Amino acid sequence: MKKLEVKNMTKRFGGLVAVDDLSFKVEEGSIFGLIGPNGAGKTTVFNSITRFYNPEEGEVILRTKGSKIDLLDYKTHQIADLGLARTFQNVELFGKMTVLDNMLVGAHNNIKTNFLIEGFRLPGFKKKENQAKTKAMEILNFLGLKKLAHQFADSQPYGVQKLLELGRVLMSEPEIILLDEPAAGMNDSETDKLSDLLLKIRDEYNLTVFLVEHDMGLVMDICDEIVVINFGKSIMQGTPKEIQVSPEVQEAYLGGDDEF
Amino acid sequence: MAFFKLFNNNPYFKYILGSIIFVIIVFIDLQLGLFASRTVNLLIRVVYFSVVAIGFNILLGYAGQISLGHAAFMGFGAYLTAFISNNYGLGFLPTIILSGLIPMVFGVILGLVALRLERLYLAIATLGIGVTIEFVFREWVWFTNGFSGVRLSRPEIFGFAFNNSRHFLLLSTIILFIVILFTYNLINSKTGRALSAMRDSGHAAQAMGISLFKYKLIAFALSAFYVGIAGSLYAYAERYVHPSTWGAELSLDMLAMVVIGGLASIGGSVTGAGFLVFVPRLVQDLPLIGEITNINFILTGLAMILVIRFMPIGIYNWFDYKFIQPFYIKRLNLNKPGGDD
Repeated sequence: MKKLEVKNMTKRFGGLVAVDDLSFKVEEGSIFGLIGPNGAGKTTVFNSITRFYNPEEGEVILRTKGSKIDLLDYKTHQIADLGLARTFQNVELFGKMTVLDNMLVGAHNNIKTNFLIEGFRLPGFKKKENQAKTKAMEILNFLGLKKLAHQFADSQPYGVQKLLELGRVLMSEPEIILLDEPAAGMNDSETDKLSDLLLKIRDEYNLTVFLVEHDMGLVMDICDEIVVINFGKSIMQGTPKEIQVSPEVQEAYLGGDDEF
Repeated sequence: MAFFKLFNNNPYFKYILGSIIFVIIVFIDLQLGLFASRTVNLLIRVVYFSVVAIGFNILLGYAGQISLGHAAFMGFGAYLTAFISNNYGLGFLPTIILSGLIPMVFGVILGLVALRLERLYLAIATLGIGVTIEFVFREWVWFTNGFSGVRLSRPEIFGFAFNNSRHFLLLSTIILFIVILFTYNLINSKTGRALSAMRDSGHAAQAMGISLFKYKLIAFALSAFYVGIAGSLYAYAERYVHPSTWGAELSLDMLAMVVIGGLASIGGSVTGAGFLVFVPRLVQDLPLIGEITNINFILTGLAMILVIRFMPIGIYNWFDYKFIQPFYIKRLNLNKPGGDD
């Protein structure tokens, strides 16, 4: 079954067409890669799906809890509640908050309290808060960050911040996660660890993973299916093996012979 | 040992202990008259300015929004209290709550402005709104009695009149205590985390399901509510409300309290309020320096510059990190603050 479908999406910035009539489908439970040269419009696709941008045309169909919904009918902050959560290319953490609090913000929609219950600590508060805290500690344990729970997020090294962002996404109990360049700034051995972790996360939490990545090693290793875009247009969609031998993809990355 | 452990593990303990000590001091003072009545009046000022500073800190320290027009809400709260108690004779509690709720509605309106503006532009816009409302207070004679000001009598609860300032100090301290507990609880739960998240990264907050629209309005509404309540306490304490009190200077004083005491910290808010009330008074008694006119403004500005330069986390937090936390970390043989699990 298809988890996420992007149909004929177009996003323009003034005269520049950043995403041009793009369509692809993401299979449920798969790891799906979106690749393309610099400036191809990959992050724009992510921002359009998560409603930070308003695409002019197209549909983004998400299948969640048995029903089909068009994400373009929703606002940015409503997306997380629909089971779709994302990370950012430049790590966006809540720096002045502790690692644990960062995780708890991820569970924002799942903690059902209001300000009266919170302010006066009315019955029911402790249970809901502790559920979220237990879950946060479990995920931190899973990511190996448990010891850092009470430290500030912006005092952590880059690798930990990347993991923490991943953990925060998991806290929102998503069905599909969108990762914007999860391996950016990592060396080879860290990238290997990340591939293992992503596979583990997919299996452990029953997720669909949709990632944008520049690191071809990672993409070819773990992705089940890949879509390649250039200048906002889809060049081809296929398995890593098909992509590797495709002349169109090589042309997009390395440039064609006939132009020179 | 057990005592220190309690102190470290249960954050409430700090506040409850502090309040109990304060209440005991006030009680002893009631019997023996320890403080001069001038000091009692200053303490009342510290209490209501603490409520102001906590409200302003929710906005600036936690939610990361600025307003330079909050003096208007305090004035509004004070005038409402005078108006309600003079014309309708409602009791103390309904009056003070109404004096918080009505400015809160106006706070939401200011929040709607804040949705479209950020940082410097928000500061300019709110300053403009604040100055406008100050002039409204001067001209709206029906409500504010213009330049003559309004008088009102001391509050009464269940027939007990708080005519003695020492009694009123006790009453306002209890209100401050409730405000502190409520704020502490709120900050350490979903709403507070959402406010801080919005301050640190708006994009990430939205991606995690936090509506910036909702939480900006909540920040403005809450702070206006607190400041309105403080205005009400002001009216009851001073028993006279005059339009020239609610100018931009007061808004800047609120900013100074929060910055000097410590951003995003309840203890810092109280410290800042204490600093701004007591230090100018102490300096006024000094020879030579005390005779300079407007020494309090000069001192506030100087203190703000020094704090930002040398302890940007604020006096209270600086003191906490430097002395208090190392103290009980040593006693408990902990490796890091906040305990470990």
